[in-house]
Amino acid sequence: MSPIDPRLQEALDSERDPGDLPVDLWEAYARLNAATQILKATPPVSVASRVMAEIRQNPAPVQGEGPGRRLIHWLGRPRAVTVRLRPVWTLALAAGLTAVLVLQWPRGGPTPGVAQGIANFVGQFPGAQSVEVVGSFNDWSRGMLHLNDDDGDGIWRAKAVLPAGQHEYMFVVDGERWLPDPLAGRYVDDGFGAGQQNSVLIVRPVSAQP
Amino acid sequence: MSWKLVLALALVARPAPLIGQNGNGGGSTRLAGRVPAAALPAIDSILVAAAAESLPTEPLVQKALEGGAKNIPADRLVNGVRRGLLQLRQARAIVSHAVPGQSPPEGHVAAVAAALARGLSGPIVERLITVAPDEPPGPALHAVADLVAHHFDPDSAADLLVEAHNKGLRGVRLLDVAVAADHELQRPGGRTRSEALAHVRAMLPNVRPVRP
Repeated sequence: MSPIDPRLQEALDSERDPGDLPVDLWEAYARLNAATQILKATPPVSVASRVMAEIRQNPAPVQGEGPGRRLIHWLGRPRAVTVRLRPVWTLALAAGLTAVLVLQWPRGGPTPGVAQGIANFVGQFPGAQSVEVVGSFNDWSRGMLHLNDDDGDGIWRAKAVLPAGQHEYMFVVDGERWLPDPLAGRYVDDGFGAGQQNSVLIVRPVSAQP
Repeated sequence: MSWKLVLALALVARPAPLIGQNGNGGGSTRLAGRVPAAALPAIDSILVAAAAESLPTEPLVQKALEGGAKNIPADRLVNGVRRGLLQLRQARAIVSHAVPGQSPPEGHVAAVAAALARGLSGPIVERLITVAPDEPPGPALHAVADLVAHHFDPDSAADLLVEAHNKGLRGVRLLDVAVAADHELQRPGGRTRSEALAHVRAMLPNVRPVRP
């Protein structure tokens, strides 16, 4: 940038009478003064952009626009939302979420994991009052996996998510009769010397199921 | 109790272990109240012996729980658990012989013991383990046991499973080989067992996956 003559600057700043300027500066003074007047007459750019932004945020309602379209516009328009939270409640909420994660809250629904599979138990026991499955997958505990016969046709069914791998099991009918699953296809002597056989179930992991 | 205390307890509480530790994997703790009291000392000593020999104790605990649930008398129950220990020892010997120089994984030992209980012979089991020493042997052993249970020749059944393995089948897909052989046997036309095995061998590794 070339330096401006200090006398010219003083005249433009109204600190010197332009009539006192030397003749060779008169033309320069006239051009610069005209340019200053033009700039003074133009509104600042920042004002224009603020106005445009305001228009974009609050467009004038379109004549004839239906209530549905107005609702869509209202829903789609960004709005500032202010949420006032007490710090104690924020901490309590965070602690509650942490507790759920740490304690591994039980999830609903029998969704098998990677190392689990789904086992279907079916048996025909006409006239039975109750049928359950007891086996190595439930520590041979009674009352944990019951079969159902909802339509009373004597065919009892149950579905369970079990760990993948081999399991031995038996049906317990009416709480006292221990019977192998006739549809198991695999059996093994139970080893207690009475020739009784357990059914053998091999649960395929969900990752290996077709 | 204030809610702050409840929250604090919830944050520090962790699920407690279900079983204690007493030198046999906590097995006897799980058995208390589930098996006759008269059988507990003998079963406990069996579990301690198994743990001392680095054998898996869980199959023995399961056998004891099974006996208790079935109301098996104490002496027969102890004999059943002791028989399980003997099978585990035999299984560990087979695995060690098949894969020398390695500490036998507990899963391998338990799977071999289960195969022996299903009636497979030691040499057949050892052959199958030797083919794939680093893979869980359960599916291959069960596949051969399935075929043997359907009166297929044990050596021919083992041959088929070895070939299936060599052609890329792994894990539970090996069970499909036994199912395929059984299906071939049941096809109309009266195939012999060796013909059924030959048909399955010809289709390897593309045996149909069995839906659970």
